[in-house]
Amino acid sequence: MTHQLDLILNLARRNFLLQFRGSLLGLLWAILLPIVQLIVFAFLFQRVVPLGINNYPVFVFTALLPWNWFSVSILSAGNLFIVHRDLVRRPNFTPSTLALVSALTNLLTYLAALPIVFVLVAMSGRAITWTVLLLPFIMLIQGTLIVGLSLFIATWNVFYRDVQQITGVAIMLLFYLTPVFYSLERVGREYRIAFTLNPMAVLVQSYRAILYEGTVPDWSELLIASSVAVAALAIGYLSYRREIQEVYDFL
Amino acid sequence: MNLVLEIQGVSKRFRTQRNRPATLKESFIQRLNGRLSRAAGEHWALRDISISLEKGRSLGIIGHNGAGKSTLLRLVCGLGRPTMGTIRYWGQIRSLLELGSGFQPEMTGRENLLTGGILGGLSRREVEAIQDEIIAFAELEEFIDQPVRTYSSGMYLRLAFATITHFNPDFLIIDELLAVGDSRFHQKCLDRLKSFRAAGKSLLIVSHDLDQIRASCDEVVVLEEGRILMRGDPETAIRSYYDVMRHRTEKRRAEIEGAHQPIQGNRYGTQEATVTAFRLFDGEERMTDHIYAGAPLTVELDYLRLNTVVDMACLVTIFNENHTKCFETFIPSVHSASGKLSERGSIRCHLPEVPLVPAQYYIAAGLFPTDWSFAYDHHGQIHMLHVMNENGISANVSGVLMVRPEWTVRPVDPS
Repeated sequence: MTHQLDLILNLARRNFLLQFRGSLLGLLWAILLPIVQLIVFAFLFQRVVPLGINNYPVFVFTALLPWNWFSVSILSAGNLFIVHRDLVRRPNFTPSTLALVSALTNLLTYLAALPIVFVLVAMSGRAITWTVLLLPFIMLIQGTLIVGLSLFIATWNVFYRDVQQITGVAIMLLFYLTPVFYSLERVGREYRIAFTLNPMAVLVQSYRAILYEGTVPDWSELLIASSVAVAALAIGYLSYRREIQEVYDFL
Repeated sequence: MNLVLEIQGVSKRFRTQRNRPATLKESFIQRLNGRLSRAAGEHWALRDISISLEKGRSLGIIGHNGAGKSTLLRLVCGLGRPTMGTIRYWGQIRSLLELGSGFQPEMTGRENLLTGGILGGLSRREVEAIQDEIIAFAELEEFIDQPVRTYSSGMYLRLAFATITHFNPDFLIIDELLAVGDSRFHQKCLDRLKSFRAAGKSLLIVSHDLDQIRASCDEVVVLEEGRILMRGDPETAIRSYYDVMRHRTEKRRAEIEGAHQPIQGNRYGTQEATVTAFRLFDGEERMTDHIYAGAPLTVELDYLRLNTVVDMACLVTIFNENHTKCFETFIPSVHSASGKLSERGSIRCHLPEVPLVPAQYYIAAGLFPTDWSFAYDHHGQIHMLHVMNENGISANVSGVLMVRPEWTVRPVDPS
């Protein structure tokens, strides 16, 4: 068990550092990319199409970081087994570890940029409340969701490369159906159910409640999101378990 | 009996249709056509293989490309499940399958060593404890903090070999090892493997290098088309491996049109590439088949190839009259040694000295595909070489190797 942990942490650390090897700015890139996104969003929705949201940079950034964690992980999930073929083909290596490693690697990117949120919050004159202590819990739910979906996508993409294409389209659509750059209050009541069932919408709202509003997230919605996440993990793991021997033959 | 590995009645079937990534569309079309299974065809890579290996023994597996060696190794490593049969093992398995796999070119040697160690089943602390020993064995003290991409292939393999063999496995699986570094390091590797065996650990070795198999295995299994052709001591097994090669060559020759007419006897091959002339030269570049013991010799052969042959290996062997191999050398790839092959060409092998005792020898030479799975043209023991007595050397020598004996006899004082 401790060995598995050693392995996962080491691979996550390695993959995280690997993204920045050979670049001049190095680790700064982990922070620069979301900041550039933030600037674009701030320009678009404060100047071009003003949404009238207070403290828009904090508002967007609290959602953007977890969204990036989710989308980057899911978009890379398709190639998880294919790219790490040499690891998958190693004796005594459990390929499902890769899904965990990938989720953890991208979580590190999230965590690296998280201090900026705190800085932005402080600059806006708001206080950070005790609700911050709930962050790990929300992250755990999101991590579960990511690992489950990744396992499913990684497994099936070995056999059908369409899976990755579909994932790409789905992530793009989901971005607009998740309140990252807009507020859910603008959405009509009749459409709310779609957002309640979208675990990413619930998670983003929860992060926002904790960091932007300083309140406690909506527990009933979180319960639904956790159920979806656990179901995703179960389905992902089961299809992985069922097909992994074929994956070995196929790779 | 103290078994470390037991393979019982193992067969492995691959579904050939899934050799390439399918798309959903294709699989829908198949379903429409009423073929619900994902498999269109199937291919048996292994059939009814049973092997057991005792503690402290080392087993070699030889066989041509496609004979099922890699499939067998991968199943033993737990990658994929046998279609039939069971594989059991006791103790910790480590493999040198795909040596250096999992190394990241951008990371330094030290970081890769750590990752490799943890992948190999050690904890971070354990790896850190033996790290210096590994680096010393790989002789990479100066380079260990450089990215692995800057390593030469020899350095890369040295690190990989050192990393894996230092994790103290009970049972080591080695696939095509030991083109590792220079000959001194190679010897170091062989010594390390020897000390493994001495420590009562077991080895499973797959190799094309028959000399290495001969040197490091107690027993050898010959695989051919997924079946065990024979299991026995290395000498017998290697002989039957050569028989398989000859057999395959004949089978292939029957299928090939346009090849040059074969010549029977000690010569065999598909003749896709043919040795059209064979010449021997002495130290003064005179064509001759007589040389003095210890003098230089050049073997030259002209070839003619078909367009289908883009690369080949060239082998030169000296046998004595008892058919004992005295010396052998080869180039694994003429293409990589000298660039694109012309349709006709000649290959020379210069031996600066031939220290053989005066006697009659045969020179065998041949052209092979680079995977050595059959022969293009092999001249068995057709060409004679006479090694003569040089003036001044006593004729009282026999054996194989020519050294200059200097005898001294002196009385010993009785006191």
